[in-house]
Amino acid sequence: MAKYTKYKRILLSVLAINALLVSTHEGEFWPFSIFPMFSQGGHPWTRGVVQELDTITPDVWDVKPLEEVRPGVISLDAHGIDQIDYANFMSKTKVWDQKRLRALAGMLQASKNISGGKYWLLTRVEGFLTEEDSVVVNAIPMFLVSADTLIKNPNIFNPQKDEFTH
Amino acid sequence: MNSLIKNLFTLDDPDSFGVKAYLRLFELFTATYTIIYAWKWGSYIPRISDVVLPLGLAHYIDVSIFFGDVMPWVLASILTLVTLAAFLFRKYSWLYLPAFFLLQLLYAIRFSLGEIPHSSNLVGFSLLGLGLGFAFFDKNRQALHFAYGFVIFFAGLGYTTAAFCKLIGTGFHWVDGAHLWLWIAEKSTDVLSAEGSYNLNLLQMIALDKRIYATLILLTGIVTEFFAFLIWWKKARPFVTLALIGMHIGIYLAMNIFFLPYMIEFVIIGFPLYILFDKLNKKFNLEHRLSVSY
Repeated sequence: MAKYTKYKRILLSVLAINALLVSTHEGEFWPFSIFPMFSQGGHPWTRGVVQELDTITPDVWDVKPLEEVRPGVISLDAHGIDQIDYANFMSKTKVWDQKRLRALAGMLQASKNISGGKYWLLTRVEGFLTEEDSVVVNAIPMFLVSADTLIKNPNIFNPQKDEFTH
Repeated sequence: MNSLIKNLFTLDDPDSFGVKAYLRLFELFTATYTIIYAWKWGSYIPRISDVVLPLGLAHYIDVSIFFGDVMPWVLASILTLVTLAAFLFRKYSWLYLPAFFLLQLLYAIRFSLGEIPHSSNLVGFSLLGLGLGFAFFDKNRQALHFAYGFVIFFAGLGYTTAAFCKLIGTGFHWVDGAHLWLWIAEKSTDVLSAEGSYNLNLLQMIALDKRIYATLILLTGIVTEFFAFLIWWKKARPFVTLALIGMHIGIYLAMNIFFLPYMIEFVIIGFPLYILFDKLNKKFNLEHRLSVSY
């Protein structure tokens, strides 16, 4: 069985490196991973959708059930935008500073994708289970983007700094 | 331990045309997907201008220096050349190891916006296995057998680890059908965002109809994952592979997540296709028509 010694040594060495890397990098060091997806059952989640608007109505910043805004949601695939990247911008950003907002507008290629006179309403979508175990999904407007401007939701952000040109 | 090693690395397989063709097919798949990822990730990087969530190597390297229009193409081109050289010329097959580190770097650059995809992990293990195999073994046959066993080991480990994560992260009530309802809503939102519309399919409707149905779907999934380590043993491998492919089809139907590279690679590594290749060789005398070596 000596012929297997080398196989064993390399495999166990990589296994040890694997354990070291995932334990010190929150479970992820590609391709090593603890594969934690869907490990937390029942936890609330946050994703994102983009709605296209022709006009801005007074209720534009209102929180609505996702079903209500669903007809206006556009396909990000059709615009060559990675939907998961967009969802992660909406769910993982803690501080929306100018750099992050410009990165968001750049990823969406807003100046190219948004035609004149139209707006994209960038919306956070939050889902959770109620105590009665029914699923609730809400759409929370975050930013209104035109071909050259981004406006923050004044109900969430400081209204003194609510607009910039990207 | 020796029995496990023997089962993993299939060292007792015959030195036949079928085995050579089988291992080379595994190598071809790995090289092809490495090049596909190089260009897929490389072509997306010019859109990125900020690091939202650093992953892997990005903890140690400022990946933003690779943003822009030039560097991603340079990295993808180098990776393609290195991979082709490793596949085509045995003298340079050790280049799979630097190819692995280049792909790892491209992953860290591409996925710096918060997404943590796992669809490329099996290809990553395959590339690392080939790199280590050709770097540490003198004989090509041993190197390819090592790479094959290496990826089988980490595939089994990954799924079983995922089952443990669920039990640790949530507990035995992870299988509660209400959790699947919430995930269906989450993944439906992703489809709505990507495609602009979505409709529930039959499996989703069944899961949403009664909690017990959703619970049974989750129970089947976690049991399959838990026993995935049995893929390490040669006799169980085809059956575990079938169960894992079935589970991935279930994940696709229930949550719209499809791991195409995993499915292709499982079809290659999970079944003893070399038996089929040997039979074809016997019938059509392929050995004399095709030049296949380790």
